[in-house]
Amino acid sequence: MEYSLIKRAVVDFEEKKVKELVKEFLDKGAFPNEILEQGLIPGMKEVGRLFAIKEYYVPEVLLASEAFYAGFELIKPLLVQTDVARKGKIVIGVVQGDIHDIGKNIVKVMLESSGFEIVDLGKDVPNEKFIESVIQQKPQVLALSSLMTTTMLQMETIIKLLYKKKLRKNIKVIIGGAPVNQEYANKIGADGYAEDATGAVKLVERLLGVNS
Amino acid sequence: MNWIEEVIQRKRRFAVFPMVCADHCAYLLNINFAKVATSGEKLAEVLEYGYRLYKYDMVLVFSDPYIEAEAMGCKIEFAPYPRLVSCTKDFQSRIRKKSGLETTPAKVLRGSDKRPKHNRIKEILKAVRILKRNIEAPIFVSIKGPFSLACFIGGMERFLKLLLEDNMQAQNVVESALDFQLQYLDMLLDLDVNIMIGDPMVSTSVISPALFKEFAFEPLKVLITKIRKSHLIAGIHICGEVRQIINELDNLHADILSIEDITLKTKTLKMGGVSTNTILNGSVKDIRNEIENTLSQDHLILSTSCDVPVKTPSNNIKRMIKIAREIFDN
Repeated sequence: MEYSLIKRAVVDFEEKKVKELVKEFLDKGAFPNEILEQGLIPGMKEVGRLFAIKEYYVPEVLLASEAFYAGFELIKPLLVQTDVARKGKIVIGVVQGDIHDIGKNIVKVMLESSGFEIVDLGKDVPNEKFIESVIQQKPQVLALSSLMTTTMLQMETIIKLLYKKKLRKNIKVIIGGAPVNQEYANKIGADGYAEDATGAVKLVERLLGVNS
Repeated sequence: MNWIEEVIQRKRRFAVFPMVCADHCAYLLNINFAKVATSGEKLAEVLEYGYRLYKYDMVLVFSDPYIEAEAMGCKIEFAPYPRLVSCTKDFQSRIRKKSGLETTPAKVLRGSDKRPKHNRIKEILKAVRILKRNIEAPIFVSIKGPFSLACFIGGMERFLKLLLEDNMQAQNVVESALDFQLQYLDMLLDLDVNIMIGDPMVSTSVISPALFKEFAFEPLKVLITKIRKSHLIAGIHICGEVRQIINELDNLHADILSIEDITLKTKTLKMGGVSTNTILNGSVKDIRNEIENTLSQDHLILSTSCDVPVKTPSNNIKRMIKIAREIFDN
């Protein structure tokens, strides 16, 4: 199977072609995990690389993400059946009062395509919902995003709530978004800050001690 | 001639304006921000309070970035702070017809356009009139750059994808935004007020230099030319990366370029120098260090790299201004 065709179609954000190729490969008997690991994931990794070296920007990544998901949604049910091991579970969301979720969506797709299981709480997420989700989902990482100086303050509140509920020691908290930086992460007691989506993947892999 | 004009004309070395906006002033006064964002009188009141408290060299009329987007049909919620809930509903049908969005500021003001629940353009104009009566420093009104406004009215993710998927439709949305802004600008320029164009979505943290040139440069140029023809000050504020488009920004021939990285070489006078995180969380030493790092600039409007966060300690802002005046006046 020429999985590189799927990779290329993701990089070229050809959503329809990705869908057709994945269907065709499945019909020919390809294993879903091989389609994921040798086609879709390398595609998004290349997108991440192009984003990091500033050949791709947000619009390109958004379209490539759509192409990735077009294929991923087809194989996802089959992956569950074959019980493919994931690197870890991450709960992700944009904090309360903030509806800017492009950055979060890009980080989500890069983490998902790097082998992590993602629970996406969406945007404008109440603090309590983050806590509930940590209790129910038991993720290894909580990823918080904010684009506004008015809403970034919620990140500190959520970390305090994790301490209050005695959940903090079992989870790594990472933050991202335009108004925050490493200094702010240190100040509020987060475990890490990433400047962009590729940085977020590296950060999570480092925090969880898993290989790329 | 005021200090800002003197710095623009290189007759004075510096002026100072931490980018204090209405939300921070309302926080200090313990006024519900929703009231400030929807009332010209309240907006003027809190901005005048900030000016008198901190004694900086200009005033920026800015409550939130959604004034024009709301007038063009976006839904905004106001509590606790204004936020964009949904983009313009008829965006898709209109761009299909390639007819653009026909709302104009004049329609909004006349009340013939029923979409906006809050007619906040009227409130901005009211605030400007009050501030012009009460305040001696130059007044700037923040308006959105057409590209960023197009992102709001089209829905950010959808519009950004459209840039690559359908060039004509994307241009159509930007043109609708520009048409609206040109008319809004007429109203503001009639009040003899300076303009700061905020265009956060054009940085290369979001779009490529090629897309900037194709979709954002020309509309900005049109607005700046119009402002300068009125002999008023035209500033541009962009948060995020601009290194790759700095020459284009310089070629817009604005009077002021407010950017994060003021070490970039430009002919245009820069504004910035202190990071928003430093003003929010930094010590006196941190603030002093960042101000001292700007000394290599021949001329500068010393400012924060973006608007001052709401809960910034008042003392940090006072210290920034005090240290700046000590350093630059000696």
